[in-house]
Amino acid sequence: MTETNGKLRYVPTTCPYCGVGCGLNLVVNDGKLVGVEPYKRSPINEGKLCPKGATCWEFVQSPDRLTKPLIKRNGKFEEASWDEALSLVASKFKEISDKYGPKALGFQVSCRTPNEECYIMQKLARVAFKTNNIDNCARICHGPSVAGLSLSFGSGAATNPFEDVLNADVVFMIGANSVEAHPLAGRRVLQAKKAGKTVIVCDPRYTPTARLADHYVRYNPSTNIALINSIMYWIIQQNLHDKEFIAKRTTGFDDLMKTVEKYAEVESITGVPTERVKEIARIYASAKNAVIIYCLGITELTTGTDNVRSLGNLAMLTGNVGRPGVGVNPLRGQNNVQGACDMGAYPNVFSGYQKCEDDAARKRMEELWGVTGLASEYGVTLTEQITQCGDPIKAMYIFALNPVVSYPDSNHVMRSLEKLDFLVVQDLFMTETAQYADVILPGASFAEKDGTFTSGERRVNRIRKAVQTPGDSKEDWQIFVDLAHKLGLAGFDFNSPEDIWDDMRRVTPSMAGISYDRLEKPEAVHWPCPTLEHPGTPILHREKFSSADGLGHFFGLEHRPPAEVADAEYPFTLMTGRLIFHYHTRTQTGRAKILHHEVPEAYVQINNEDAARLKIQNGEKIRLRGRRGQAEALARVTDEVAPGVLMMTMHFGGKGSVNQLTNTALDPLSKMPELKHSAVAVEKITGVQ
Amino acid sequence: MVAKGDMVYAWTTSPDIAKVAECGGAVTGLLKFALENDIVDGVLAVKKGVDLYDAVPTLITDPAEIAQTAGSLHCGTLLLAKLIKKYLGGAEDMRLAVTVKGCDAMGIYELAKRNQVNLDNLLLIGVNCGGSVSPVSARKMIREKFGVDPNDVVKEEIDKGQFIIVTKDGQHKGISMDELEEAGFGRRANCRRCKMKVPRQADLACGNWGVIGDKAGKATFVEVCSGKGADLLSRAVKAGAVATEPANPKGIEIRGKVENAMLKLGDKWRARYFEGLGEGKERLQKIMEDSSRCTKCYACIDNCPICYCVECSTKKPYLVPPGVLPVPFMFHLIRYAHVADSCVNCGQCEENCPMEIANSLYMHALQTDMERMFGHTPGVDMDLPVLALVEEQAERERLFATGSDQIFNVFK
Repeated sequence: MTETNGKLRYVPTTCPYCGVGCGLNLVVNDGKLVGVEPYKRSPINEGKLCPKGATCWEFVQSPDRLTKPLIKRNGKFEEASWDEALSLVASKFKEISDKYGPKALGFQVSCRTPNEECYIMQKLARVAFKTNNIDNCARICHGPSVAGLSLSFGSGAATNPFEDVLNADVVFMIGANSVEAHPLAGRRVLQAKKAGKTVIVCDPRYTPTARLADHYVRYNPSTNIALINSIMYWIIQQNLHDKEFIAKRTTGFDDLMKTVEKYAEVESITGVPTERVKEIARIYASAKNAVIIYCLGITELTTGTDNVRSLGNLAMLTGNVGRPGVGVNPLRGQNNVQGACDMGAYPNVFSGYQKCEDDAARKRMEELWGVTGLASEYGVTLTEQITQCGDPIKAMYIFALNPVVSYPDSNHVMRSLEKLDFLVVQDLFMTETAQYADVILPGASFAEKDGTFTSGERRVNRIRKAVQTPGDSKEDWQIFVDLAHKLGLAGFDFNSPEDIWDDMRRVTPSMAGISYDRLEKPEAVHWPCPTLEHPGTPILHREKFSSADGLGHFFGLEHRPPAEVADAEYPFTLMTGRLIFHYHTRTQTGRAKILHHEVPEAYVQINNEDAARLKIQNGEKIRLRGRRGQAEALARVTDEVAPGVLMMTMHFGGKGSVNQLTNTALDPLSKMPELKHSAVAVEKITGVQ
Repeated sequence: MVAKGDMVYAWTTSPDIAKVAECGGAVTGLLKFALENDIVDGVLAVKKGVDLYDAVPTLITDPAEIAQTAGSLHCGTLLLAKLIKKYLGGAEDMRLAVTVKGCDAMGIYELAKRNQVNLDNLLLIGVNCGGSVSPVSARKMIREKFGVDPNDVVKEEIDKGQFIIVTKDGQHKGISMDELEEAGFGRRANCRRCKMKVPRQADLACGNWGVIGDKAGKATFVEVCSGKGADLLSRAVKAGAVATEPANPKGIEIRGKVENAMLKLGDKWRARYFEGLGEGKERLQKIMEDSSRCTKCYACIDNCPICYCVECSTKKPYLVPPGVLPVPFMFHLIRYAHVADSCVNCGQCEENCPMEIANSLYMHALQTDMERMFGHTPGVDMDLPVLALVEEQAERERLFATGSDQIFNVFK
């Protein structure tokens, strides 16, 4: 697999960035990564890549990779052996667990790492410490999708594959900037448009995706429920709802109808004139097949789960679920956010969403794992774990995440991490978060280990080892195996990622039919796939919904304003946004030359009128000030955002960190923090022109 | 004994190669011979990946592995030319034998003109190409138009204007390329416009057109195009690795007819594609709109055999502001200005574009106009292109050193 001689060795693998799961070839010359070449055989992206996928090899061999375990002594990091480092981790966690119990530990699992590693980490935490304080960063991303679609349809994942968009007649996009955030899924929308299909884009911003629209609807930030309720009201008014589907396959329609009657005119809330709402309603509901695509504009709000359920309502109202060309598709963000959830890196479920509180499920897991006493209660979620640092959480294990930059309210995160007795950070580079660690464990990139990622369309894609890890860094699954052995645990005798995958299959009925063999061709398999003979399930809810009663559930949902709205003191509404050029906190993309060249510094979009009024020039560095902190960014004066609204890049740390401003207020159902809506004041920085 | 200009039927004398060969196994036989006898250090060819829709470039240094590259993959839409520059040091320090379609051969010549590959170290074994089909599109085509599960296909070929498949239970099915292409399937758009069917700028041009009589299906037609090619074939015949006989004159005639038919088809598609672009402002509007979707993945530049600059002008902030979408038109204007006179219509820029911009169509349209105006044909010989050609670093230094001679300091 990893011969060190030979030139032009192509290793087909999956991109480590977003949830589309593009195939690509890593090119290896004499044991070194030298580039990326198209993998045209992949049905997902047909060889095409976005700027990030094209350069995903560059960070791997960056000279500042962590290559040795590090232990902090007297405030300084000192190199250590693996034995030393893992013994310390094992003993400290055991000590704290023995003294304070399972509530004193926190495990934060990455959504960038392969399924095998997410699975083994949650197994280790559960088996060694009987805790459910395990969560992954879907919590601050599509947690509301998982929660919302589970309530609406019984299953919290995308219903139809990306390419299926081509079978739709109308594509309805809301809170999604696919051209930048999921470029090769955005391509499908572009292809649909070129084939004459109708594209509707609803977004407070005129994004590159909005430019593709036949119908662009600008609406006020975070007024999604009002808008969707109004659309549904006018669908019913124009008698365009699918009565047969509603009668046969759903429940709760009366509640819905009663609720949406109050939403005939929503211009004062949403900014969208009623005639426009009527028109959009007519276009969507008249389509033979219509698909809804949505993303974080919908989820990262205190009404996130309700926003998602609204979309479930809309799809069911028009019978647009359960066949080709329709559906409700959340564009899952990270390369393995779907997988991390599937693997049970969640505080209330095991792999395959088997509930911890369900006695039968828990007993079965105990039997299969050969243990007793697995925890049943709902553990603590991601950002709540941060708040609990110090009390009751004393020790935390952060795997390939950078909370200091990516979680809301950075100042709160930094203060909290300092309160921990013991922090382990496992990563590739010395990130802003790693600075707070007591032990740093150097892991492996996607190019240095085998495994699988599950993309947003529930397709399980292979990653393949192309080169060795640098220095003494280890493949992450191996680190967990070694740690498990240090903790004296049985059931962790894995010699390869495939062994771990097969252990997971043993305990997860919905994935049991997916063997590595079946993943050799890039078509791979969509879960659920219960047996080796089962073909996999590209489209969900065909005859029945996945819910217990087999029906889709309508919910009457009311508009609620965000937790922190613009006021006299903080008169601007701040949204956060993603760029095509960077990925999250730029640990990887910041180290790719062309990507750094494209966007080296944080910027904020500000409307021309506001800029003129405040005498702010394009490119001028300005300050944003909020209740929780302040940030600096370069102003991009534009009409792509409405007056009073700002969009700041999410990717930067330090002074340019937008999370110094964002709110930790949570969606009660999914515990998602309100990253997409906070209130700030804008000021010129004196002395800087 | 063998001379430039000779046309022969050739076939491998190795039964193992004959077993896996497409027709005569001559190409595979010659490659193996060249490697075994230290005529080259490596062979750059294409092998099958996960299935016959998956073409994987491979550098072979062990003669025993050459057989992997036998046969033809009509879903091989690779351009080997740029790989030599990117990953094999431009063949500066190694002698390579390379199997080349028309576009590969043209790409290699353009890279050679720009000092990006060392043509002296390359032994080019040309293969006839009527065009290739993108793999995912091919699978869809087989499913939808042939009504067959693409996983059940064991062989595919393009012959006598038809795309033909053979399934694992022995069924043959053929559909005319015209019909497939009218339905939006078939060859890539640039392949339809291509008029480099027999790559005579290679050292040998090989294929199965024109092999008639008792050798039909069992021999490869070889046209000897250079002294190097004559030399290789002579040695191989002398050593008994490959056998030849003069090509049947009727066969030569038939080959000529097939080639002409393909060239006519190329003309037809060019007229159709280029006329569809309109003229003047209308054409410019179309190009500007289409290219405005660009998301700066740089695939067009990375894969283009004409592009090679380390400090690409598209990365100069005063020409193209970084991090701005929609991408300013200047980005694509730079490409047209620097590449158009030499575009060889390899199609990589269009096949690899995530935003479905018809890059190859625009560039090729510009190139054909320029060829008509200035008479320069790229990719066929070492004639330098119309636009100025510079040693990038040296020229940057010279211009910078002129100081006051410059209108403005472009070389910061």
